[in-house]
Amino acid sequence: MGWEEKQVHGYPEFVQTAQRYHGRPIFALFCGDKDAEGRSWCPDCVTAEPVVRKELPNMPDESVFIYCLVGDRAYWKDPNNDFRKNLKLTGVPTLLKYGTPQKLVEEECFKAELVRMLFTED
Amino acid sequence: SVQAHKEDKPQKLLEMNGHTPVPHSYDYDLIVIGGGSGGLAAAKEAAKYEKKVMVLDFVTPTPLGNSWGLGGTCVNVGCIPKKLMHQAALLGQALQDSRKFGWQFTEEVKHNWMTMTESVQNYIGSLNWGYRVALREKNVTYENAYGEFVGPHTVKATNKRGVEKLYTAERFLIATGERPRYLGIPGDKEYCISSDDLFSLPYCPGKTLVVGASYVALECAGFLAGLGLDVTVMVRSILLRGFDQDMANKIGEYMEEHGINFIREFVPIKVEQIEEGTPGRLKVIAKSTNGNQIIEGEYNTVLLAIGRDACTRTIGLDKVGVKINEKTGKIPVNDEEQTNVPYIYAVGDILQDKLELTPVAIQAGRLLVQRLYAGATTKCDYVNVPTTVFTPLEYGACGYSEETAVEKFGEENIEVYHSHFWPLEWTVPSRDNNKCYAKIICNIQDNERVIGFHVLGPNAGEVTQGFAAAIKCGMTKDQLDSTIGIHPVCAEV
Repeated sequence: MGWEEKQVHGYPEFVQTAQRYHGRPIFALFCGDKDAEGRSWCPDCVTAEPVVRKELPNMPDESVFIYCLVGDRAYWKDPNNDFRKNLKLTGVPTLLKYGTPQKLVEEECFKAELVRMLFTED
Repeated sequence: SVQAHKEDKPQKLLEMNGHTPVPHSYDYDLIVIGGGSGGLAAAKEAAKYEKKVMVLDFVTPTPLGNSWGLGGTCVNVGCIPKKLMHQAALLGQALQDSRKFGWQFTEEVKHNWMTMTESVQNYIGSLNWGYRVALREKNVTYENAYGEFVGPHTVKATNKRGVEKLYTAERFLIATGERPRYLGIPGDKEYCISSDDLFSLPYCPGKTLVVGASYVALECAGFLAGLGLDVTVMVRSILLRGFDQDMANKIGEYMEEHGINFIREFVPIKVEQIEEGTPGRLKVIAKSTNGNQIIEGEYNTVLLAIGRDACTRTIGLDKVGVKINEKTGKIPVNDEEQTNVPYIYAVGDILQDKLELTPVAIQAGRLLVQRLYAGATTKCDYVNVPTTVFTPLEYGACGYSEETAVEKFGEENIEVYHSHFWPLEWTVPSRDNNKCYAKIICNIQDNERVIGFHVLGPNAGEVTQGFAAAIKCGMTKDQLDSTIGIHPVCAEV
């Protein structure tokens, strides 16, 4: 079947989507919001996104890739935002395998080999 | 054995067992067999010096089918989950104490095994992943495969699907560690668990029989009881063999006074299943070690902690001529961790006559690599290594036990100073006032130098670490006396 991508914005939509695909491998990339011209306030996210996208074909069959925009910079900086509190995210970009402790944070997401390892590790 | 067919083809590469020629240039500078404390420390260090390194790590599943990720015993089924579960038990005690300090809560406090185990396993999973990322970032090749020697400078790596690959290296480091020993009685592998299974057990163990008197046995018995379970310890002879026996007995007494049953001088001879389940019900039949008395008992879980055996018998050491102690399986090495084969080294629990501790393996691994690739000369110092046993009453030690000091220096040449103490935190909740204990052993002939330090009490590990550094510096009794204490803490004693 291959894999599919879902794009979400904000925490409630993320949780809803993850729950809908319970039982399938779920990978999620969290990035800062993009403006009207498609530019993110998070420069590291801009660097990481193409690296991650290039490795998506390495995900196992039936995987779901959730591309999640977390919010604007002010929201992200708030230490009590839902992503920090509930998903224990510490930075953007974060790429993780949902439901496991496996994740890559910030500059780790720039490395194609690490991204591939996350997608193919069992 | 090696056979050189000189009369056939002098140019032919030397072959072992007729199949694997020795190559002239190798795939790797260093292949590490075993991804535990020692192996990973050495691999990461070697990568720092731009060496081409491979780590082979593979966990043979337990008799009950349990396995785990990269990181070795300490991370997965040893120190880390042990300390976390010990902490869970301490917190239970703290909750009880808290009422005397004014905290009011109406509900009865209960413990949920699954909640604790899931949290612990989640943390371990993050450590396994962390090691994968660290190795990848340092360009260390990692394979989840069973490594064994097949010829000079050559290992065969077999993954869980049975796929075999051959790799060659200039040097090898054996760091395969140990696994729990079984009793060799009917029902042991089918029905008993070991520490390899305990920390990820998917159900509460219930009424537990712990067989053994090692620190593994006592620590596990300790936290299981601390979590509210009915625990019995079956001991063949003495507690904590190799440790100061005065301290070992105090630990045992404390555990007994706090609800842990001890059956002394018996060994199990059969384990039968009464009822399947999670947990099930097991019948244990045991025989006395002096006499013919037979006893029976029923338990939900039987945990074997009678010792650990080195993983050295099925990794092809005979194919490369590495000598092992046939009786124990341990590998003798020189003071540079080199085996009798010059290009093969070993670190960690598998070493003969060395302490089986994570920090020792890490230090030995790192220093070895620095000597090999960075021109360093420092050797690992195995003397005065501090340790701690995380029994309900924690025990920290560094240096000689009283018995070993007497044996080495003579009773008339050592002086022992000791004291009971009552931690301030224990006074209000009326906890034992005469159980915590500290003693130092001094060498009279050497300025009363402190050669042994032993403390029994809360946070023993934290207390002992600093004193270990002082002992390494050669602290004498006078220096100790002239060090003013911090008040009010246990360590001031």
